[in-house]
Amino acid sequence: MANRALDDLVVVEFAEMVSGPMCGKMFADMGAEVIKIEPPGAGDEMRAHPPFPGDIPHPEKSGSFLYLNTSKKSLTLDAGTPTGAEVFRKLIARADVLIENHPPGYLDNIGLSYEGLNDLNPRLIVTSITPFGQIGPYRDWKGTDLIEFAMSLTGYNTPTMVDDAERENPLRAPGHQAEMMGATAAAASTMFAVFHRDTTGEGQWLDVPCWQAIASTSKLEMAAYTYVGIPFSRMRGNVATGLEPLPCKDGYVYVLWAADTHYRALKTLLHNPSAMESEVFDLLSGRQANDDVLRPMIRTELLKYDTEYLVNEGQRLGLTIGPVFTVAQAANHPHLRARNAFVEIDHPIAGRFEYPRSLVQMTATPPISTRAPMLGEHNTEILGRLGYSLAQQQGMRAAGVI
Amino acid sequence: MSRLPLEGIRVADFSWIINGPQIAQWLATMGAEVIKIESQVYIDIGRINPAGMADHIAGPNRNGFYHALNYGKKAITLNLATDKGRDLADDIIRKSDLVLECFPTPAAKKLGITYDRVRAVKNDIIMISVSLLGKTGLEPASWVGWGPMACCFVGMFDAQGYPDPANPNPPPRQTGGTWPDYAIASAVTFHVLAALRHRNRTGEGQWIDASMGETVIGQMPEWYMDYFINGRDRRARGNRDDVMAPHNTYRCAGEDKWIAIAVGSQSEWEALCGAMGDPEWTRQAKFADQYSRWQHSDDLDVHLAKWTRNHEHLALAKELQNAGVAAGPVLDSVEIHHDPHLWEWGFFRKIDHREVGERILPNMPVRMSNVPELNYAMPPDLGEHNREIFGGLLGLSDAEIKMLMEQKVIY
Repeated sequence: MANRALDDLVVVEFAEMVSGPMCGKMFADMGAEVIKIEPPGAGDEMRAHPPFPGDIPHPEKSGSFLYLNTSKKSLTLDAGTPTGAEVFRKLIARADVLIENHPPGYLDNIGLSYEGLNDLNPRLIVTSITPFGQIGPYRDWKGTDLIEFAMSLTGYNTPTMVDDAERENPLRAPGHQAEMMGATAAAASTMFAVFHRDTTGEGQWLDVPCWQAIASTSKLEMAAYTYVGIPFSRMRGNVATGLEPLPCKDGYVYVLWAADTHYRALKTLLHNPSAMESEVFDLLSGRQANDDVLRPMIRTELLKYDTEYLVNEGQRLGLTIGPVFTVAQAANHPHLRARNAFVEIDHPIAGRFEYPRSLVQMTATPPISTRAPMLGEHNTEILGRLGYSLAQQQGMRAAGVI
Repeated sequence: MSRLPLEGIRVADFSWIINGPQIAQWLATMGAEVIKIESQVYIDIGRINPAGMADHIAGPNRNGFYHALNYGKKAITLNLATDKGRDLADDIIRKSDLVLECFPTPAAKKLGITYDRVRAVKNDIIMISVSLLGKTGLEPASWVGWGPMACCFVGMFDAQGYPDPANPNPPPRQTGGTWPDYAIASAVTFHVLAALRHRNRTGEGQWIDASMGETVIGQMPEWYMDYFINGRDRRARGNRDDVMAPHNTYRCAGEDKWIAIAVGSQSEWEALCGAMGDPEWTRQAKFADQYSRWQHSDDLDVHLAKWTRNHEHLALAKELQNAGVAAGPVLDSVEIHHDPHLWEWGFFRKIDHREVGERILPNMPVRMSNVPELNYAMPPDLGEHNREIFGGLLGLSDAEIKMLMEQKVIY
């Protein structure tokens, strides 16, 4: 049995969709006991989101839900009812961390304010993940991953290297990357708070907004403005260094030719085509000034070779060059297979299939995923532990509390 | 300043450019003593990239790219190409809790920064390696690359683009800037802290072998799970969501101005229609319910864009938010630096640097109620802490330090 780094922590996750659940998953996969509170009835909204096997919706079969909720326990609870709030307080009294992603003020409104929770358990760390944060003029704005990403400057700059600004509208990244940034920033911040708690004995309240988290991925673009005075442009401009997927014979490759040594290696890789030999391209300044001539030339030459030759030989020559794969190509790549990047997990209702294994690989305390819980699967176990008799639980169920 | 969470933890940081420095940035702002090991032989590109050089005046201490990623750290210069340099690096490792490196595998081997060797220097060390595709496995483990190349390998950039009915293989596009490096950094930082807590409890160190590619895979489950469950190779979808519609960015008044709008429920749709003044087109049967709107997203987008075209993006976002619709302006770099919410929340900070004067830098994206002020000490000059580290930490005399400088070991 592997060591579990966080197996002494109890985390209550009062969250739905991506940001809070991803944060909870990171703790659960590292061994913490994560008790996920879901609304009675439909449960976490993500249970209704695809992908589903055969595209047939089923609350226990959402691939997104199953991935984001590995290794957790599920408790259905309506925390907005007096009895539900009582159960919630009992859970909190023995928890180390509460992860929640409700709109600011929601916990106050149902009588579960931070101050009250802190009185109940001064060691508790409350991690609030929201679109915009707990203070500021946009605090009560509605946010979704698209909105947070679009406002982040990283959003303005996605996709990069635009040719036609009218036709190429700003895109969000595939999936929910603003929410994911909020989740990972929250997970890291929560661990810092655990260290603070371990030395001082005091808990605290963390405010981690997804917009600010994803905006902080544009540090270089921000510095270009505040240090050099150049507003960042999403247009192609004179980025004379490659830096984009370019077509080759059987797909696309990504290649960088910033340094002069890169450019020489690229020429060698392409068997020194005469047009590329011109000495105006020898220095970066010349390549920048003549990018409109050079880039189409490189594109033409790349089309003569396949991905395998360009990448293997290019890497041997010291070029920063790599293949551009689809998800299916990557999922079957022997390198990722050799590293066991995927793990098969069985689920009694959804079935058996692979999942991405872990965000990082660790030698002593590797993250380990076990299947996501079914809705309310752990009600009896958790309520029993809190001292509720089976008769009381039946009453709660009848009243719609659980 | 109150006590910071990682006080007493020392990091020997061999990383450079973005993702390693961003991991060290998390650790440094939270109180760890980060010793950033640089050298004039192999200078951090962040110090020399012209695109970040303050007012176009060259100087290793003037670069915004470096400043934005290296506040709160100590910087020394140590030439690892020399035997003595590597010995001194070992002396620092011996007094450290964490070692951080993001060298390509062949370079790490050449410099002796491998887990086996580092562990032989200090048995309970936690070593963090961040590389393109991991340091074990097949041939790609030795490739040179950076964040965007990892995204290319794992399908992220194939999934980033505009669907084209006429082309089943539309060109892959890139997610903004250097997004993957930061996305990976906070995920890695969480696991570093878990490893540190494990060491504090058990005395056992370990190696964290982070593959940028695998971290990105773990953050795009919609794509990978669809493949593993249904065998479907999802491709680029523009801004299309699995459930919401409308869900896109729409052109506004002004040059290259856009607004993002996301509608997930019937009441939000009715609120949007109300804000538009209930135009005739919204009453068509195909826009009557959420699923039907989702099926007719393209039509919906055409109608909506005609309306947004005449509105200013921020004013319209405020109007829609007041009506209960999720909306936000696509902010460019001028607008984001003037955004009142970010300033009030504490996202930006003004610094007054001795060489470049007053500038604005982004803080870490968290507010902690009991750690009100993180370590945002000024980004270090090249070699600024040589005397403190080589003299203070390693106990070398001034004469020894002088000699090592002459020998270009401290260099």
